Amino acid sequence: MRPLVILSGVGLASIYGFLLAPLVVVVLSSLTAGELMRFPPQGVSLRWFSRFYESAGFIDALLLSLRVAAVSTVVVTLVGGMAALCHRTLSRRLGGWFRLLLLLPLLIPELLTAIGLLFFLSRIGLGKSLIGLQLGHIVITLPFAFISIAAALQQVDPALEDASDSLGASGWQTFRHILLPLIKAGALMGALFAFVTSFDMFTLSFLLKPVGGDTLPLALFNYLTYDFDPTAAAAATISILLAFAGVWVIDRTVGLRRVM
Amino acid sequence: MNRRISRLVLGIPAVLLLIAFVVVPYIEMLTMSLRMPGSGMPYGVGFTLGNFGHALGDPLYRGALARSLMLGAVVAALCLLLSYPVALHLARVSDRWHLVFYVCVVSPLLVGVLVRNFGWMIILAVDGPLNRLLLTVGLIDTPLRMLFNQGVVILALVHVFVPFMVLPITNALRNIDGALVEASASLGASDTRTFWRITFPLSFPGVQAALVLVFVLASSAYVTPALLGGQAVALLPSLIVDQLIGALAWPFGAALAIVLAAAMSLVVLAFTALSRPLAERTST
Repeated sequence: MRPLVILSGVGLASIYGFLLAPLVVVVLSSLTAGELMRFPPQGVSLRWFSRFYESAGFIDALLLSLRVAAVSTVVVTLVGGMAALCHRTLSRRLGGWFRLLLLLPLLIPELLTAIGLLFFLSRIGLGKSLIGLQLGHIVITLPFAFISIAAALQQVDPALEDASDSLGASGWQTFRHILLPLIKAGALMGALFAFVTSFDMFTLSFLLKPVGGDTLPLALFNYLTYDFDPTAAAAATISILLAFAGVWVIDRTVGLRRVM
Repeated sequence: MNRRISRLVLGIPAVLLLIAFVVVPYIEMLTMSLRMPGSGMPYGVGFTLGNFGHALGDPLYRGALARSLMLGAVVAALCLLLSYPVALHLARVSDRWHLVFYVCVVSPLLVGVLVRNFGWMIILAVDGPLNRLLLTVGLIDTPLRMLFNQGVVILALVHVFVPFMVLPITNALRNIDGALVEASASLGASDTRTFWRITFPLSFPGVQAALVLVFVLASSAYVTPALLGGQAVALLPSLIVDQLIGALAWPFGAALAIVLAAAMSLVVLAFTALSRPLAERTST
Protein backbone atom coordinates (compact mmCIF):
# COMPACT_ATOMS: atom_id res chain seq x y z
CA MET A 1 0.00 0.00 0.00
CA ARG A 2 2.70 2.46 1.02
CA PRO A 3 4.55 2.68 -2.34
CA LEU A 4 1.19 3.12 -4.06
CA VAL A 5 0.34 6.11 -1.89
CA ILE A 6 3.69 7.73 -2.64
CA LEU A 7 3.32 7.00 -6.34
CA SER A 8 -0.14 8.55 -6.52
CA GLY A 9 1.12 11.55 -4.52
CA VAL A 10 3.91 12.08 -7.04
CA GLY A 11 1.44 11.66 -9.89
CA LEU A 12 -0.94 14.25 -8.46
CA ALA A 13 1.87 16.69 -7.70
CA SER A 14 3.08 16.44 -11.30
CA ILE A 15 -0.42 17.15 -12.65
CA TYR A 16 -0.73 20.21 -10.44
CA GLY A 17 2.78 21.20 -11.52
CA PHE A 18 1.78 20.74 -15.18
CA LEU A 19 -1.19 23.09 -14.64
CA LEU A 20 0.84 25.84 -13.01
CA ALA A 21 4.23 25.58 -14.79
CA PRO A 22 3.43 27.72 -17.87
CA LEU A 23 2.05 30.55 -15.72
CA VAL A 24 5.03 30.56 -13.38
CA VAL A 25 7.47 30.45 -16.30
CA VAL A 26 5.83 33.43 -18.04
CA VAL A 27 5.85 35.58 -14.89
CA LEU A 28 9.48 34.76 -14.04
CA SER A 29 10.68 35.30 -17.64
CA SER A 30 9.23 38.80 -17.65
CA LEU A 31 11.56 39.73 -14.78
CA THR A 32 14.76 38.89 -16.64
CA ALA A 33 17.54 41.45 -16.89
CA GLY A 34 18.97 39.73 -19.97
CA GLU A 35 18.36 40.50 -23.63
CA LEU A 36 16.74 37.21 -24.55
CA MET A 37 13.61 35.31 -23.76
CA ARG A 38 15.21 32.77 -21.47
CA PHE A 39 14.23 30.62 -18.55
CA PRO A 40 15.48 30.68 -15.81
CA PRO A 41 15.78 34.49 -16.12
CA GLN A 42 19.22 36.11 -16.06
CA GLY A 43 19.15 38.56 -13.19
CA VAL A 44 16.09 40.45 -12.02
CA SER A 45 14.84 43.74 -13.43
CA LEU A 46 11.70 45.50 -14.50
CA ARG A 47 13.24 46.74 -17.77
CA TRP A 48 10.84 44.74 -19.96
CA PHE A 49 7.89 46.28 -18.15
CA SER A 50 9.22 49.73 -18.95
CA ARG A 51 9.76 48.57 -22.53
CA PHE A 52 6.11 47.49 -22.54
CA TYR A 53 5.08 50.86 -21.14
CA GLU A 54 7.04 52.69 -23.83
CA SER A 55 5.54 50.63 -26.65
CA ALA A 56 2.63 52.63 -28.04
CA GLY A 57 1.21 49.52 -29.74
CA PHE A 58 1.01 47.53 -26.54
CA ILE A 59 -0.36 50.40 -24.43
CA ASP A 60 -3.09 51.21 -26.96
CA ALA A 61 -3.99 47.53 -27.09
CA LEU A 62 -4.05 47.28 -23.28
CA LEU A 63 -6.31 50.34 -22.98
CA LEU A 64 -8.65 49.02 -25.68
CA SER A 65 -8.85 45.62 -23.97
CA LEU A 66 -9.53 47.21 -20.58
CA ARG A 67 -12.24 49.40 -22.06
CA VAL A 68 -13.99 46.60 -23.94
CA ALA A 69 -13.76 44.27 -20.94
CA ALA A 70 -15.06 46.94 -18.53
CA VAL A 71 -18.07 47.78 -20.73
CA SER A 72 -18.81 44.07 -21.26
CA THR A 73 -18.62 43.38 -17.53
CA VAL A 74 -21.00 46.16 -16.57
CA VAL A 75 -23.50 45.31 -19.31
CA VAL A 76 -23.53 41.54 -18.81
CA THR A 77 -23.68 41.74 -15.01
CA LEU A 78 -26.78 43.96 -15.30
CA VAL A 79 -28.45 42.13 -18.19
CA GLY A 80 -27.40 38.69 -16.92
CA GLY A 81 -28.55 39.50 -13.38
CA MET A 82 -31.92 40.70 -14.66
CA ALA A 83 -32.22 37.55 -16.75
CA ALA A 84 -31.39 35.41 -13.70
CA LEU A 85 -34.21 37.10 -11.75
CA CYS A 86 -36.56 36.44 -14.65
CA HIS A 87 -35.41 32.82 -14.86
CA ARG A 88 -36.38 32.39 -11.19
CA THR A 89 -40.06 33.08 -11.87
CA LEU A 90 -40.39 31.04 -15.09
CA SER A 91 -42.02 27.62 -15.09
CA ARG A 92 -39.68 24.62 -15.29
CA ARG A 93 -40.28 24.05 -18.99
CA LEU A 94 -40.05 27.64 -20.12
CA GLY A 95 -37.12 28.19 -17.75
CA GLY A 96 -35.27 25.36 -19.49
CA TRP A 97 -35.62 27.04 -22.89
CA PHE A 98 -34.69 30.41 -21.46
CA ARG A 99 -31.58 28.93 -19.89
CA LEU A 100 -30.63 27.20 -23.13
CA LEU A 101 -30.90 30.48 -25.06
CA LEU A 102 -28.76 32.29 -22.49
CA LEU A 103 -26.09 29.58 -22.50
CA LEU A 104 -26.02 29.32 -26.31
CA PRO A 105 -22.84 31.41 -26.75
CA LEU A 106 -21.11 29.08 -24.29
CA LEU A 107 -22.37 25.85 -25.86
CA ILE A 108 -21.49 26.82 -29.42
CA PRO A 109 -17.79 27.33 -30.15
CA GLU A 110 -16.61 30.94 -30.11
CA LEU A 111 -15.27 30.53 -33.66
CA LEU A 112 -18.76 29.82 -35.03
CA THR A 113 -20.42 32.67 -33.12
CA ALA A 114 -17.70 34.99 -34.38
CA ILE A 115 -18.21 33.90 -38.00
CA GLY A 116 -21.97 34.45 -37.78
CA LEU A 117 -21.38 37.89 -36.28
CA LEU A 118 -18.80 38.75 -38.95
CA PHE A 119 -21.44 38.26 -41.67
CA PHE A 120 -24.33 39.80 -39.74
CA LEU A 121 -22.46 42.89 -38.50
CA SER A 122 -21.19 43.71 -41.98
CA ARG A 123 -24.74 43.40 -43.30
CA ILE A 124 -26.10 45.92 -40.77
CA GLY A 125 -23.20 48.29 -41.41
CA LEU A 126 -21.23 47.54 -38.23
CA GLY A 127 -18.54 45.41 -39.88
CA LYS A 128 -15.02 46.07 -38.59
CA SER A 129 -16.32 48.57 -36.03
CA LEU A 130 -15.65 49.01 -32.34
CA ILE A 131 -19.37 48.68 -31.58
CA GLY A 132 -19.45 45.36 -33.40
CA LEU A 133 -16.44 44.10 -31.45
CA GLN A 134 -18.05 45.25 -28.20
CA LEU A 135 -21.34 43.50 -29.03
CA GLY A 136 -19.45 40.29 -29.74
CA HIS A 137 -17.69 40.48 -26.37
CA ILE A 138 -21.01 41.13 -24.64
CA VAL A 139 -22.81 38.09 -26.06
CA ILE A 140 -19.87 35.75 -25.39
CA THR A 141 -19.51 36.87 -21.75
CA LEU A 142 -23.23 37.08 -20.94
CA PRO A 143 -23.54 33.36 -20.01
CA PHE A 144 -20.84 33.68 -17.32
CA ALA A 145 -22.70 36.42 -15.48
CA PHE A 146 -26.03 34.63 -15.90
CA ILE A 147 -24.80 31.23 -14.62
CA SER A 148 -23.12 32.65 -11.51
CA ILE A 149 -26.04 34.85 -10.52
CA ALA A 150 -28.66 32.18 -11.30
CA ALA A 151 -26.70 29.68 -9.19
CA ALA A 152 -26.53 32.17 -6.30
CA LEU A 153 -30.27 32.89 -6.57
CA GLN A 154 -31.03 29.19 -6.45
CA GLN A 155 -29.63 29.09 -2.92
CA VAL A 156 -32.07 31.78 -1.77
CA ASP A 157 -35.23 30.54 -0.05
CA PRO A 158 -38.29 31.99 -1.91
CA ALA A 159 -40.00 32.36 1.49
CA LEU A 160 -37.66 35.27 2.23
CA GLU A 161 -39.02 37.22 -0.75
CA ASP A 162 -42.61 36.33 0.11
CA ALA A 163 -42.09 37.51 3.66
CA SER A 164 -40.58 40.78 2.43
CA ASP A 165 -43.50 41.25 0.02
CA SER A 166 -46.15 40.57 2.63
CA LEU A 167 -44.51 43.06 4.97
CA GLY A 168 -45.13 45.71 2.30
CA ALA A 169 -41.70 46.09 0.70
CA SER A 170 -41.61 47.18 -2.93
CA GLY A 171 -40.03 44.94 -5.55
CA TRP A 172 -36.93 47.13 -5.56
CA GLN A 173 -36.67 47.11 -1.75
CA THR A 174 -36.94 43.32 -1.67
CA PHE A 175 -34.19 43.10 -4.28
CA ARG A 176 -31.94 45.70 -2.66
CA HIS A 177 -32.22 44.53 0.95
CA ILE A 178 -32.96 40.80 0.69
CA LEU A 179 -31.69 39.36 -2.60
CA LEU A 180 -28.71 41.55 -3.40
CA PRO A 181 -26.80 40.88 -0.15
CA LEU A 182 -27.36 37.15 -0.63
CA ILE A 183 -26.22 37.00 -4.27
CA LYS A 184 -23.41 39.56 -4.08
CA ALA A 185 -20.67 36.92 -3.96
CA GLY A 186 -22.05 35.05 -6.99
CA ALA A 187 -22.52 38.27 -8.94
CA LEU A 188 -18.94 39.37 -8.25
CA MET A 189 -17.56 36.00 -9.32
CA GLY A 190 -19.65 36.15 -12.51
CA ALA A 191 -18.41 39.67 -13.19
CA LEU A 192 -14.81 38.57 -12.71
CA PHE A 193 -15.19 35.66 -15.12
CA ALA A 194 -16.90 37.94 -17.65
CA PHE A 195 -14.10 40.49 -17.36
CA VAL A 196 -11.32 37.95 -17.69
CA THR A 197 -13.03 36.15 -20.58
CA SER A 198 -13.45 39.41 -22.47
CA PHE A 199 -9.94 40.57 -21.64
CA ASP A 200 -8.43 37.32 -22.95
CA MET A 201 -10.74 36.74 -25.91
CA PHE A 202 -8.77 36.00 -29.07
CA THR A 203 -10.69 34.31 -31.87
CA LEU A 204 -13.74 36.58 -31.88
CA SER A 205 -11.60 39.73 -31.62
CA PHE A 206 -9.40 38.47 -34.45
CA LEU A 207 -12.38 38.11 -36.79
CA LEU A 208 -14.28 41.26 -35.74
CA LYS A 209 -11.56 43.76 -34.87
CA PRO A 210 -11.81 47.25 -36.31
CA VAL A 211 -9.02 48.31 -38.67
CA GLY A 212 -5.96 49.16 -36.58
CA GLY A 213 -7.79 48.25 -33.37
CA ASP A 214 -5.81 45.43 -31.81
CA THR A 215 -6.77 44.20 -28.35
CA LEU A 216 -3.98 43.03 -26.04
CA PRO A 217 -4.25 39.32 -27.01
CA LEU A 218 -4.07 40.29 -30.71
CA ALA A 219 -1.05 42.50 -30.12
CA LEU A 220 0.57 39.74 -28.07
CA PHE A 221 -0.10 37.17 -30.82
CA ASN A 222 1.57 39.39 -33.42
CA TYR A 223 4.48 39.99 -31.12
CA LEU A 224 4.93 36.28 -30.43
CA THR A 225 4.83 35.51 -34.13
CA TYR A 226 7.29 38.21 -35.25
CA ASP A 227 9.54 39.41 -32.45
CA PHE A 228 9.94 37.03 -29.58
CA ASP A 229 11.47 39.01 -26.70
CA PRO A 230 10.66 39.46 -22.98
CA THR A 231 8.32 42.39 -23.70
CA ALA A 232 5.79 39.71 -24.61
CA ALA A 233 6.32 38.08 -21.22
CA ALA A 234 5.76 41.46 -19.55
CA ALA A 235 2.50 41.88 -21.49
CA ALA A 236 1.38 38.38 -20.51
CA THR A 237 2.36 38.97 -16.88
CA ILE A 238 0.26 42.12 -16.77
CA SER A 239 -2.80 40.14 -17.85
CA ILE A 240 -2.06 37.45 -15.23
CA LEU A 241 -1.67 40.11 -12.52
CA LEU A 242 -4.97 41.70 -13.54
CA ALA A 243 -6.84 38.42 -13.13
CA PHE A 244 -5.30 37.80 -9.73
CA ALA A 245 -5.99 41.36 -8.63
CA GLY A 246 -9.64 40.59 -9.41
CA VAL A 247 -9.53 37.45 -7.26
CA TRP A 248 -7.86 39.42 -4.47
CA VAL A 249 -10.58 42.09 -4.57
CA ILE A 250 -13.27 39.40 -4.32
CA ASP A 251 -11.45 37.77 -1.43
CA ARG A 252 -11.30 41.13 0.36
CA THR A 253 -14.93 42.08 -0.24
CA VAL A 254 -16.88 38.84 0.15
CA GLY A 255 -14.30 36.17 0.92
CA LEU A 256 -13.19 33.49 -1.53
CA ARG A 257 -14.70 30.66 0.48
CA ARG A 258 -18.16 32.03 -0.17
CA VAL A 259 -17.88 32.02 -3.95
CA MET A 260 -16.63 28.49 -4.52
CA MET B 1 -48.44 38.45 -9.15
CA ASN B 2 -47.20 41.96 -9.63
CA ARG B 3 -43.67 40.80 -8.85
CA ARG B 4 -43.98 37.98 -11.36
CA ILE B 5 -44.83 40.33 -14.22
CA SER B 6 -42.09 42.82 -13.42
CA ARG B 7 -39.63 39.94 -13.13
CA LEU B 8 -40.61 38.59 -16.54
CA VAL B 9 -39.91 41.99 -18.08
CA LEU B 10 -36.36 41.82 -16.71
CA GLY B 11 -35.55 38.94 -19.05
CA ILE B 12 -36.36 40.90 -22.20
CA PRO B 13 -33.00 42.66 -22.75
CA ALA B 14 -31.05 39.40 -22.55
CA VAL B 15 -33.45 37.62 -24.91
CA LEU B 16 -33.36 40.46 -27.45
CA LEU B 17 -29.57 40.68 -27.26
CA LEU B 18 -29.10 36.96 -27.84
CA ILE B 19 -31.67 36.70 -30.61
CA ALA B 20 -30.26 39.72 -32.45
CA PHE B 21 -26.56 38.94 -32.02
CA VAL B 22 -26.39 35.16 -31.74
CA VAL B 23 -29.45 33.48 -33.26
CA VAL B 24 -29.84 35.80 -36.25
CA PRO B 25 -26.08 35.66 -37.03
CA TYR B 26 -26.28 31.84 -37.10
CA ILE B 27 -29.10 32.09 -39.61
CA GLU B 28 -26.97 34.60 -41.53
CA MET B 29 -24.16 32.02 -41.58
CA LEU B 30 -26.52 29.41 -43.03
CA THR B 31 -27.70 31.72 -45.81
CA MET B 32 -24.13 32.89 -46.44
CA SER B 33 -23.05 29.29 -47.07
CA LEU B 34 -25.60 29.12 -49.90
CA ARG B 35 -24.55 32.31 -51.66
CA MET B 36 -22.55 32.52 -54.87
CA PRO B 37 -18.86 33.28 -54.51
CA GLY B 38 -18.06 36.89 -55.38
CA SER B 39 -15.14 38.27 -57.30
CA GLY B 40 -13.41 41.18 -55.61
CA MET B 41 -15.98 41.17 -52.83
CA PRO B 42 -16.91 38.73 -50.06
CA TYR B 43 -19.93 37.21 -51.85
CA GLY B 44 -21.88 37.43 -55.09
CA VAL B 45 -25.50 37.53 -56.26
CA GLY B 46 -27.71 34.44 -56.24
CA PHE B 47 -27.62 31.11 -54.45
CA THR B 48 -25.90 27.75 -54.95
CA LEU B 49 -25.16 24.46 -53.19
CA GLY B 50 -21.71 24.42 -54.77
CA ASN B 51 -19.89 25.60 -51.64
CA PHE B 52 -20.84 22.41 -49.84
CA GLY B 53 -19.83 20.32 -52.83
CA HIS B 54 -16.42 21.98 -52.79
CA ALA B 55 -16.09 21.69 -48.98
CA LEU B 56 -16.94 17.99 -48.93
CA GLY B 57 -15.27 17.04 -52.20
CA ASP B 58 -11.79 18.51 -51.78
CA PRO B 59 -9.42 16.07 -50.00
CA LEU B 60 -7.59 19.04 -48.43
CA TYR B 61 -10.67 20.02 -46.43
CA ARG B 62 -11.78 16.46 -45.75
CA GLY B 63 -8.33 15.68 -44.36
CA ALA B 64 -8.32 18.83 -42.25
CA LEU B 65 -11.77 17.98 -40.90
CA ALA B 66 -10.66 14.46 -39.97
CA ARG B 67 -7.53 15.81 -38.27
CA SER B 68 -9.53 18.38 -36.31
CA LEU B 69 -12.02 15.79 -35.05
CA MET B 70 -9.20 13.41 -34.19
CA LEU B 71 -7.37 16.18 -32.35
CA GLY B 72 -10.54 16.90 -30.34
CA ALA B 73 -10.97 13.24 -29.43
CA VAL B 74 -7.33 12.75 -28.42
CA VAL B 75 -7.30 15.94 -26.35
CA ALA B 76 -10.57 14.97 -24.61
CA ALA B 77 -9.27 11.49 -23.77
CA LEU B 78 -5.94 12.79 -22.42
CA CYS B 79 -7.76 15.46 -20.41
CA LEU B 80 -9.87 12.77 -18.77
CA LEU B 81 -6.75 10.80 -17.87
CA LEU B 82 -5.24 13.81 -16.10
CA SER B 83 -8.46 15.29 -14.70
CA TYR B 84 -9.99 12.28 -13.00
CA PRO B 85 -7.23 11.82 -10.38
CA VAL B 86 -7.28 15.56 -9.66
CA ALA B 87 -11.08 15.53 -9.32
CA LEU B 88 -10.90 12.54 -6.95
CA HIS B 89 -8.30 14.38 -4.92
CA LEU B 90 -10.32 17.63 -4.85
CA ALA B 91 -13.47 15.78 -3.82
CA ARG B 92 -11.71 14.03 -0.93
CA VAL B 93 -9.23 16.60 0.35
CA SER B 94 -9.97 18.13 3.75
CA ASP B 95 -11.73 21.50 3.86
CA ARG B 96 -8.60 23.24 5.06
CA TRP B 97 -6.63 22.39 1.92
CA HIS B 98 -9.52 22.39 -0.49
CA LEU B 99 -9.27 26.11 -1.28
CA VAL B 100 -5.55 25.87 -2.06
CA PHE B 101 -5.92 23.01 -4.54
CA TYR B 102 -9.10 24.50 -5.95
CA VAL B 103 -7.22 27.73 -6.72
CA CYS B 104 -4.47 25.68 -8.43
CA VAL B 105 -7.09 24.23 -10.80
CA VAL B 106 -9.07 27.42 -11.38
CA SER B 107 -6.19 29.89 -11.74
CA PRO B 108 -5.22 28.68 -15.24
CA LEU B 109 -8.84 29.43 -16.22
CA LEU B 110 -8.34 33.06 -15.27
CA VAL B 111 -5.34 33.35 -17.58
CA GLY B 112 -5.86 33.64 -21.31
CA VAL B 113 -5.26 30.70 -23.65
CA LEU B 114 -2.64 32.72 -25.50
CA VAL B 115 -0.64 33.40 -22.34
CA ARG B 116 -0.73 29.74 -21.37
CA ASN B 117 0.43 28.71 -24.86
CA PHE B 118 3.22 31.25 -24.55
CA GLY B 119 4.35 29.53 -21.33
CA TRP B 120 4.83 26.30 -23.28
CA MET B 121 6.78 28.19 -25.97
CA ILE B 122 9.26 29.23 -23.27
CA ILE B 123 9.44 25.82 -21.58
CA LEU B 124 9.89 23.83 -24.81
CA ALA B 125 12.17 26.25 -26.69
CA VAL B 126 15.40 24.84 -28.16
CA ASP B 127 17.40 26.65 -25.45
CA GLY B 128 14.54 26.34 -22.95
CA PRO B 129 14.56 24.84 -19.46
CA LEU B 130 13.30 21.37 -20.47
CA ASN B 131 16.00 20.89 -23.10
CA ARG B 132 18.68 22.09 -20.71
CA LEU B 133 17.40 19.76 -18.00
CA LEU B 134 17.50 16.81 -20.39
CA LEU B 135 21.00 17.79 -21.54
CA THR B 136 22.29 18.07 -17.98
CA VAL B 137 20.81 14.76 -16.97
CA GLY B 138 22.39 13.26 -20.08
CA LEU B 139 19.22 11.88 -21.64
CA ILE B 140 19.93 13.70 -24.91
CA ASP B 141 23.09 14.97 -26.65
CA THR B 142 21.60 17.70 -28.82
CA PRO B 143 18.62 19.91 -27.96
CA LEU B 144 15.29 18.64 -29.25
CA ARG B 145 13.03 20.70 -31.47
CA MET B 146 9.81 20.32 -29.54
CA LEU B 147 7.81 23.29 -30.83
CA PHE B 148 5.67 23.78 -33.92
CA ASN B 149 4.25 20.31 -34.42
CA GLN B 150 1.07 18.41 -33.68
CA GLY B 151 2.35 17.00 -30.39
CA VAL B 152 2.84 20.40 -28.80
CA VAL B 153 -0.62 21.49 -29.99
CA ILE B 154 -2.09 18.48 -28.17
CA LEU B 155 -0.04 19.23 -25.05
CA ALA B 156 -1.07 22.88 -24.97
CA LEU B 157 -4.75 22.10 -25.60
CA VAL B 158 -4.78 19.47 -22.85
CA HIS B 159 -3.33 22.09 -20.54
CA VAL B 160 -6.02 24.56 -21.57
CA PHE B 161 -8.93 22.17 -21.05
CA VAL B 162 -7.99 20.14 -17.94
CA PRO B 163 -9.71 22.67 -15.60
CA PHE B 164 -12.87 22.48 -17.75
CA MET B 165 -12.99 18.79 -16.99
CA VAL B 166 -11.87 18.76 -13.37
CA LEU B 167 -14.69 21.02 -12.18
CA PRO B 168 -17.74 19.06 -13.47
CA ILE B 169 -16.21 15.71 -12.43
CA THR B 170 -15.43 17.03 -8.95
CA ASN B 171 -19.04 18.17 -8.67
CA ALA B 172 -20.32 14.76 -9.74
CA LEU B 173 -18.00 13.03 -7.26
CA ARG B 174 -19.03 15.28 -4.38
CA ASN B 175 -22.68 14.42 -5.00
CA ILE B 176 -22.05 10.69 -4.51
CA ASP B 177 -23.54 9.45 -1.26
CA GLY B 178 -20.59 8.37 0.91
CA ALA B 179 -22.74 5.63 2.43
CA LEU B 180 -22.68 3.76 -0.89
CA VAL B 181 -18.89 3.59 -0.90
CA GLU B 182 -18.84 2.52 2.77
CA ALA B 183 -21.50 -0.12 2.13
CA SER B 184 -19.48 -1.50 -0.76
CA ALA B 185 -16.34 -1.67 1.38
CA SER B 186 -18.10 -3.23 4.37
CA LEU B 187 -19.58 -5.89 2.11
CA GLY B 188 -16.02 -6.88 1.31
CA ALA B 189 -15.36 -5.21 -2.08
CA SER B 190 -11.77 -4.15 -2.72
CA ASP B 191 -10.98 -0.46 -3.32
CA THR B 192 -10.53 -1.10 -7.03
CA ARG B 193 -13.85 -2.94 -7.28
CA THR B 194 -15.64 -0.19 -5.33
CA PHE B 195 -14.14 2.40 -7.67
CA TRP B 196 -15.20 0.66 -10.89
CA ARG B 197 -18.60 -0.51 -9.63
CA ILE B 198 -19.69 2.48 -7.54
CA THR B 199 -17.61 5.66 -7.84
CA PHE B 200 -16.84 5.76 -11.56
CA PRO B 201 -20.36 4.85 -12.77
CA LEU B 202 -21.93 7.41 -10.45
CA SER B 203 -19.58 10.12 -11.70
CA PHE B 204 -20.16 9.19 -15.34
CA PRO B 205 -22.74 11.89 -16.13
CA GLY B 206 -20.12 14.50 -15.17
CA VAL B 207 -17.47 12.68 -17.23
CA GLN B 208 -19.75 12.45 -20.26
CA ALA B 209 -20.63 16.16 -20.19
CA ALA B 210 -16.97 17.14 -19.75
CA LEU B 211 -15.79 14.92 -22.62
CA VAL B 212 -18.36 16.46 -24.97
CA LEU B 213 -17.42 19.99 -23.92
CA VAL B 214 -13.68 19.46 -24.36
CA PHE B 215 -14.09 17.60 -27.67
CA VAL B 216 -16.12 20.47 -29.16
CA LEU B 217 -13.83 23.19 -27.82
CA ALA B 218 -10.63 21.42 -28.91
CA SER B 219 -11.88 20.49 -32.39
CA SER B 220 -12.80 24.11 -33.05
CA ALA B 221 -9.78 25.71 -31.36
CA TYR B 222 -8.11 28.30 -33.55
CA VAL B 223 -5.40 30.18 -31.70
CA THR B 224 -3.36 27.33 -30.16
CA PRO B 225 -2.74 25.49 -33.46
CA ALA B 226 -2.09 28.86 -35.17
CA LEU B 227 0.58 29.75 -32.62
CA LEU B 228 2.16 26.37 -31.87
CA GLY B 229 1.26 24.15 -34.82
CA GLY B 230 3.76 25.47 -37.34
CA GLN B 231 3.06 25.19 -41.05
CA ALA B 232 2.77 21.44 -41.30
CA VAL B 233 -0.58 20.70 -39.69
CA ALA B 234 -3.63 22.05 -41.52
CA LEU B 235 -6.64 21.99 -39.20
CA LEU B 236 -10.09 23.02 -40.33
CA PRO B 237 -10.55 26.10 -38.07
CA SER B 238 -7.44 27.78 -39.49
CA LEU B 239 -8.48 26.94 -43.08
CA ILE B 240 -11.88 28.50 -42.34
CA VAL B 241 -10.31 31.68 -40.99
CA ASP B 242 -8.00 31.80 -44.04
CA GLN B 243 -11.05 31.74 -46.32
CA LEU B 244 -12.84 34.46 -44.34
CA ILE B 245 -9.96 36.86 -43.69
CA GLY B 246 -7.30 36.03 -46.27
CA ALA B 247 -9.18 34.93 -49.39
CA LEU B 248 -12.32 36.91 -48.52
CA ALA B 249 -14.42 33.95 -49.74
CA TRP B 250 -17.26 34.23 -47.26
CA PRO B 251 -19.74 31.72 -48.73
CA PHE B 252 -17.12 28.98 -48.89
CA GLY B 253 -15.83 29.82 -45.39
CA ALA B 254 -19.39 29.65 -44.07
CA ALA B 255 -19.93 26.27 -45.73
CA LEU B 256 -16.72 24.94 -44.15
CA ALA B 257 -17.84 26.26 -40.73
CA ILE B 258 -21.19 24.49 -41.09
CA VAL B 259 -19.46 21.27 -42.15
CA LEU B 260 -17.29 21.48 -39.02
CA ALA B 261 -20.32 22.16 -36.79
CA ALA B 262 -22.31 19.31 -38.36
CA ALA B 263 -19.42 16.86 -38.08
CA MET B 264 -18.84 17.76 -34.41
CA SER B 265 -22.55 17.34 -33.68
CA LEU B 266 -22.55 13.91 -35.33
CA VAL B 267 -19.59 12.78 -33.24
CA VAL B 268 -21.23 14.09 -30.06
CA LEU B 269 -24.53 12.35 -30.90
CA ALA B 270 -22.73 9.07 -31.66
CA PHE B 271 -20.74 9.29 -28.44
CA THR B 272 -23.83 10.04 -26.35
CA ALA B 273 -25.70 7.13 -27.94
CA LEU B 274 -22.79 4.72 -27.44
CA SER B 275 -22.24 5.72 -23.83
CA ARG B 276 -25.95 5.68 -22.99
CA PRO B 277 -25.85 2.23 -21.32
CA LEU B 278 -23.27 3.54 -18.83
CA ALA B 279 -25.15 6.78 -18.23
CA GLU B 280 -28.50 5.03 -17.80
CA ARG B 281 -27.15 2.49 -15.36
CA THR B 282 -26.33 5.34 -13.01
CA SER B 283 -29.64 7.14 -13.28
CA THR B 284 -31.69 4.15 -12.06
